[in-house]
Amino acid sequence: MDRGLYVAMTGAKQIMQAQAVNNNNIANVSTTGFRADTVAFSSQPIYGAGYASRVNAVAEDNGVDFSTGPLESTGASLDIAVNGSGFIAVQGADGQEAYTRAGGLKVSDTGAVTTEGGQAVLSESGPVQIPPASSITIGGDGTISVVPLGLAAVAQSQVDRIKLVNPSTKTLKKGADGLFYLTAGGKAPTDETVHVSSGMLESSNVNPAMSLVNMIELQRMYEFQIKSMNSADTNEQSAERMMLTS
Amino acid sequence: MNLALWAAKTGLDAQNTQMAVIANNLANSNTTGYKADRATFQDLMYQNIQQVGSQSTQNTQYAAGLSLGTGVKIGATEKSYLQGSVLQTGGTLDLSVTGNGMFQITMPDGSLAYTRDGSFSLDAQGNMVTASGYPLSPAITVPITAQSVTVGADGTVTSTTAGTSKTTTLGQIQLANFVNMQGLQPIGNNLLTESASSGSPQVGAPGTNGFGTLSQGSLETSNVNTVTELVNMITCQRAYEMNSKAISTTDQMLQYLTQNLS
Repeated sequence: MDRGLYVAMTGAKQIMQAQAVNNNNIANVSTTGFRADTVAFSSQPIYGAGYASRVNAVAEDNGVDFSTGPLESTGASLDIAVNGSGFIAVQGADGQEAYTRAGGLKVSDTGAVTTEGGQAVLSESGPVQIPPASSITIGGDGTISVVPLGLAAVAQSQVDRIKLVNPSTKTLKKGADGLFYLTAGGKAPTDETVHVSSGMLESSNVNPAMSLVNMIELQRMYEFQIKSMNSADTNEQSAERMMLTS
Repeated sequence: MNLALWAAKTGLDAQNTQMAVIANNLANSNTTGYKADRATFQDLMYQNIQQVGSQSTQNTQYAAGLSLGTGVKIGATEKSYLQGSVLQTGGTLDLSVTGNGMFQITMPDGSLAYTRDGSFSLDAQGNMVTASGYPLSPAITVPITAQSVTVGADGTVTSTTAGTSKTTTLGQIQLANFVNMQGLQPIGNNLLTESASSGSPQVGAPGTNGFGTLSQGSLETSNVNTVTELVNMITCQRAYEMNSKAISTTDQMLQYLTQNLS
């Protein structure tokens, strides 16, 4: 059995996975606060009897592009965008603290402030809860002030403050729900330097041109691998023929 | 099942829905009191191919995992409750609300619906009704003898009768407000109804307790910004094309595979 065929096969398989990551980025080109995924390949030599000539390709590092996406003005008072680096703290899976850049916030009928995905937005002391309000304002440092429902505008009061953090992006991983978690677990401390703009949303940071070029490159790379598999097959056939004639 | 194909397919689906939302907004750019919808995109679950932190050998761990995203979905359509511009019509029963609050309308089944569309008219009994004929709540009945009807900024409706100098108070229009306006259910005919997530209505007179004021002889136009919608339409179209390209590329890859390895 020719092992070259298998080496090419691992290459083709990993490239197809990379294409899936790239297609997912393209599908999320309009998702608020989406951060593009990146894939890196590593070579894994196969040791064993004989010379280690065979090196399999393994797609392994599932990195995230943390560059900032373009800001989109929506005018809605509950839409916030993080300026520069930083994240909004929300309650993720299992009550763990998670981080997101998607700042399209909502208020439920019970006064809980949630993201578009339904995760509770956190303050320093737990989920943010606001009283029934006729107007809600979110300040640059995440401070929420409201005019309670049924009261005049002079009754404006400060109710809570959204927790804004800025952990090193190296310490973050993307969870299965698309939110970011600290790789080591635990909570990131509040960062006073993180600011938000109200009435804005941050779009996806997927670069459409780059994704399309990447897509073409992956396609051609895939074809190389198939070609190698084809050559391995041809070699095998020639060898077979030689055996038959002799 | 090829994940690359399906991720791109969800993108096509979502952009198609986005286009439907944009088209509906544009179609309603002249609808009185219409509030624009915005589709919100959310990424779908990620599939863990290789768990981060799992053992690569007995002594070492993978520093990073491989997880593949499975695409995108439209999470919700959100209405923008920004004030639309006010159009002077001069109509006696054309009302617009400046600020918070919605008119309450009695539906044929007796339940209440809410609207920002203040283009009222009178039915055969003299009741103030919407264009669809649903009466305003609390009901205001204008007597047949009334010569003119005046609606004050605080919602007080008065009329004058021919031959007398006296004005008669017919009632006061009340407005309703909700904790979560996004939770209201649009039912068409410019009407919205209460839902489990909107909370219950808070009712009050215009100009009091944070409610907006009424102005007679004007209507609130649609708050659809046609320029924004057209720009959204362009980005939507291009995103659709890119997803379509992603599908055809993945298809070509698979085609190349089947043609060359047979």
